[in-house]
Amino acid sequence: MNMLGKVLEHYQLVASVIFVIGVVGFLARRNVLVQLMSIELMLNAVNLALVAFNRAHGEDMNGQVFAFFIIAVAAAEVAVGLAIILNFFRLRSTVDADAADSLKH
Amino acid sequence: MNPIFPAGDFTLLAIIIALPLVGAFVNGVFGKRLGKEAVTLMALSSVGASFLASVYTFFALRAAQTAEQAARFHWHGWEWMRLSSRTDAMGAGSNVPIELAFSVDALSGTMILVITGVGLLIHLYSTQYMRQDEGYHRFFAYLNLFVFSMLVLVLGDSLPVLFVGWEGVGVCSYLLIGFWFHEDANAAAGKKAFIANRIGDFGLLVAMGLLVYYCGALDWKGIEAASSSLAQPVKYWPIGTHVPLAAALPESAANWLNAPRYASAATLVSLALFLGAAGKSAQLPLYVWLPDAMAGPTPVSALIHAATMVTAGIYLCARLAGVFVLSPAAMFTVALIGAATALFAATIALVQNDIKKVLAYSTVSQLGYMFLGVGVGAFSAGFFHVLTHAFFKACLFLGAGSVIYAMHARIHDTERSQDMRHMGGMRAFMPITFATFVAAWGAIVGFPLLSGFFSKDEILFKAYTSSVVAPGDGKLHTARGVIDAFVWPSWGPTVLYGMGVVAAALTAFYMTRLVIGIFFGSFKGWTVVPHWKEPEGDPHAHEHAHHAVEEALEGPAPKESPWQMTLPLVVLGLLSVFAGALNAHALFHSHVLDTWLEPVFAHAQSGIKLVENEEALAIPLLIPSVVVFLLGAGVAYWMYLMAGGEPARKLASAAPRLYQLLYDKWRVDELYEETIIGAVDSLADFAAAFDRIVVDGVLARLTALLVRASGGLLRLLQTGRVHVYALSMVVGLGGLGWFFVAPHATASLERNDGAGAYVLTAAPGLGYQYRWYAEGEQPQDFGQQHTYELTIDKAGDTRKVKLEVKNAFGRVDAKEYVVNRAKPDLSGLPLTIDVGQGADGQLRGDVRPQPGAPQ
Amino acid sequence: MTAGNLFFMVCTVACVVGALATVIASNPIRGAMGLLLTILGIAGMFLQLSAQFLAAIQLIVYAGAVVVLFVFIMMLLGAEATGKELGAPKARVARLVGAGLMAVLGSVGLALTALRPTLTRFTAARPEHGSIEAVGGDVFGPALVPFELTTALLLVAAIGAIAVVRARPTARPPRSPELGETKRLFVGPLHPRDAGRPLSKESRS
Repeated sequence: MNMLGKVLEHYQLVASVIFVIGVVGFLARRNVLVQLMSIELMLNAVNLALVAFNRAHGEDMNGQVFAFFIIAVAAAEVAVGLAIILNFFRLRSTVDADAADSLKH
Repeated sequence: MNPIFPAGDFTLLAIIIALPLVGAFVNGVFGKRLGKEAVTLMALSSVGASFLASVYTFFALRAAQTAEQAARFHWHGWEWMRLSSRTDAMGAGSNVPIELAFSVDALSGTMILVITGVGLLIHLYSTQYMRQDEGYHRFFAYLNLFVFSMLVLVLGDSLPVLFVGWEGVGVCSYLLIGFWFHEDANAAAGKKAFIANRIGDFGLLVAMGLLVYYCGALDWKGIEAASSSLAQPVKYWPIGTHVPLAAALPESAANWLNAPRYASAATLVSLALFLGAAGKSAQLPLYVWLPDAMAGPTPVSALIHAATMVTAGIYLCARLAGVFVLSPAAMFTVALIGAATALFAATIALVQNDIKKVLAYSTVSQLGYMFLGVGVGAFSAGFFHVLTHAFFKACLFLGAGSVIYAMHARIHDTERSQDMRHMGGMRAFMPITFATFVAAWGAIVGFPLLSGFFSKDEILFKAYTSSVVAPGDGKLHTARGVIDAFVWPSWGPTVLYGMGVVAAALTAFYMTRLVIGIFFGSFKGWTVVPHWKEPEGDPHAHEHAHHAVEEALEGPAPKESPWQMTLPLVVLGLLSVFAGALNAHALFHSHVLDTWLEPVFAHAQSGIKLVENEEALAIPLLIPSVVVFLLGAGVAYWMYLMAGGEPARKLASAAPRLYQLLYDKWRVDELYEETIIGAVDSLADFAAAFDRIVVDGVLARLTALLVRASGGLLRLLQTGRVHVYALSMVVGLGGLGWFFVAPHATASLERNDGAGAYVLTAAPGLGYQYRWYAEGEQPQDFGQQHTYELTIDKAGDTRKVKLEVKNAFGRVDAKEYVVNRAKPDLSGLPLTIDVGQGADGQLRGDVRPQPGAPQ
Repeated sequence: MTAGNLFFMVCTVACVVGALATVIASNPIRGAMGLLLTILGIAGMFLQLSAQFLAAIQLIVYAGAVVVLFVFIMMLLGAEATGKELGAPKARVARLVGAGLMAVLGSVGLALTALRPTLTRFTAARPEHGSIEAVGGDVFGPALVPFELTTALLLVAAIGAIAVVRARPTARPPRSPELGETKRLFVGPLHPRDAGRPLSKESRS
């Protein structure tokens, strides 16, 4: 028990759990805002895995640098994504992902 | 030597060339916003500065040139490209560098004076002539671009650079002929000029290829240095070893067809060059574009289609005189075609009524004279005519433009304003135009002591006294033995001289008819009303009205053109009168131009043979010239002025078919229309039908069907629901995950059947460990070794190897590989059987493939 | 049970509970709070993995900017953004199938990870591991080009977000059927008799 938090696999487990919760959330929810938050969850899970791997193979800082870039990309993604949601809401007066079907017609 | 511009790095050339380009760029890109004043300033100053630099260059050349040594200034830009020539006897391929280099010598130095000088005058003239045109800036951009291209053509130090200018002037000519392209006929004339020139350009390209092949050089100095290699014989027929299908013919005909025929390389090169020159300089049979080119504005006709561009062909022949003189056959062709063109075009000019058309055919005819001169080896005489022709023909065209400009006061229809039947009596209204026009008329018809008299007479004199002889012993040493080279025919001088004299008579006739038609008699354009006023209202109303009330057209007396137009006329008129003094050696033993150009043509003169005592013939040969001038001009004077045109009408009605044939320009256009254009048209129709039926009808529909069907299928997958798409991503993720979780025991085999050695390489994967064991071996522990080498000693044997792979999750996959050594495939190979006695006394045969056969 | 073990457990619980709250909460505001909790938990884990710099970044960017942005948008959209979800039956099937599939896949993956015979124990970290100097040295050293490109990405994202929000659909001006002057010079009829023919495909329509 005192190995808790000092083993790579523990972090991997936590990361996998968060990732799966994110995917399921993305698939199961129709609220676009919640879907976007689920994506954030997945990105965070990946960041955690990367940092944990970096701790296990600690010769350089590549994993952390990679996570750093992912945070930057996620910030950009949230900005654009929320702008799209705002415009979408203006167009359809709803945040339901199923309403985004104009490509079909 | 001048310290600023040394002969080897004469930067002034770049300045001369670049200035008009700058003008063209500024006027073309910013001209619309700059306004007319700025465009005028830009166009005139760039060409004017270029002219001043040319004058400086000319005098620098004069100072540098001595009797023995031709002066030549170079400016080297950069290396443009590098061609590989044919390999020489030693097997070494030579490189032909093509430099972007320019050079100037006596010949091109004189040419650039004409181009920039006459160009400047015509630019000045155009500022007035084009004043009302809304494409003013476009016109000057094109005109400047033309001057730039022409300078590149003349100053280029090698054929490719010349070719750049050659194409550049072609483009400018096209753009300026079609300047008023809103009328389809004008656009069509531009395209006709462009396409007729393409045929000539093909010849020029072929000549370049041949020169690279035989001389290994394309710059003037290199060609001259290697010109001796052009004397070699070349088999030009049959292409390959025999004519295909000739065997089907009777034997004698087949033998005749298959007999190899030789010409010297110089002949081929010269004829190809002459094809290019004939296209640009409007010689038979490619002259048809030049008369149509009169659709462009008149200053363009004066600058491009009379003074400069059309003489590029003569310049090319003179520049490569050293190549031409090696081939009497090509020279005779040039002379004959020149004389024939001179005669042919003059007959058409006899009956035309459009004053610009008359001048156009006259230009074709005069260009024929120049080629006659060049063809008989009188290069400086031909060039002398280029010079005088530039002056008097530019003057004639500008004079005609001045008249047309005056006619536009009331007549705005292009055809009617250029028709001499609507003119007459302009002498009183336009005294300066009249005086200069008559001066130029005197020059072109050979009025004694004017410039054309001397230059034309010089050509005729040389046509009678000169001939070209083949270099060396006059024989071609071919693979089939020695054959005689072409020998200048004994009837040649007489016939060429006779054609020239007849053409001179015709010239005197039609030019006199033109002058009388424009300037004498009574004015027939409209009724002159002393204090006539422009009708009220729409200023362009009369443009449309004159068709309806043609008889009642009234207007003011035609006015003399403003000074911008008359000044160039006066300058050119004076030059037409006095330029003959440059080379008036028939009467005054003045050899200024000959002496000046002598070093340039010194190399070429060796192949020219003169008749004995030719100087004594100078005066006797003048007499026919004077006689035919008096005859032609006199007959025209009697016909059109004294008898008021009555004899001409009678003559026309006496031979209506001949008259119509001449009026229709011998129907050469119609002939081309029926044969060449008709053939291309039917080919195009066939291609269009093919496109419609096969490509559009079958292939396109099939493709569309395929796309529609697959699109219909794929549409079923597109539900438009985000979740369905996300689900498909999850499925893909699952598949990917499965691939990584399951191990894959795949390996690739590298064969070497010859040695019997084989290497198996396992594919890598996530945390993979491998173990290999051959048939019958005990498996070892998993390790990192991912390759396995094995050897099979005997051909035809087979071995089995098993591969097991364990991945990071501890899962194992196994696969067995069967490797067999193939027997060498000897079937179809040439074999040698060595039969010998073995150590045991038995006879043994050893079969092995022959050396060199693939193993 | 050391303090480190306890800290890890707290973080794990925060992460999982926050993630579940994000996904399950019917009111997105609560979901955003759940996301915040997860982010805090992960920042704590970063600390434990001696990634101090990243932990700070995580707090600043995610907790400080991203979550706040989410909350702002929800306030902007108001009650409509928090409505109940019903949806078409087809989509519901897809959702359920997808979620179920993912849950199965996830548990298989978890099982494979958890059942590994040997665990990878962390060795003692270098003292500078995860410090600002170490990460910064890498970011401004070997990763300089991607780092500079990130600035371009963020700029484009900012401008793009503004453009998307401000965008109003407008009709495009129709193409002129007439050819330009210069073009007509080159595609005009070659021969006078072709003058009647249409010049090109554009002018035919």
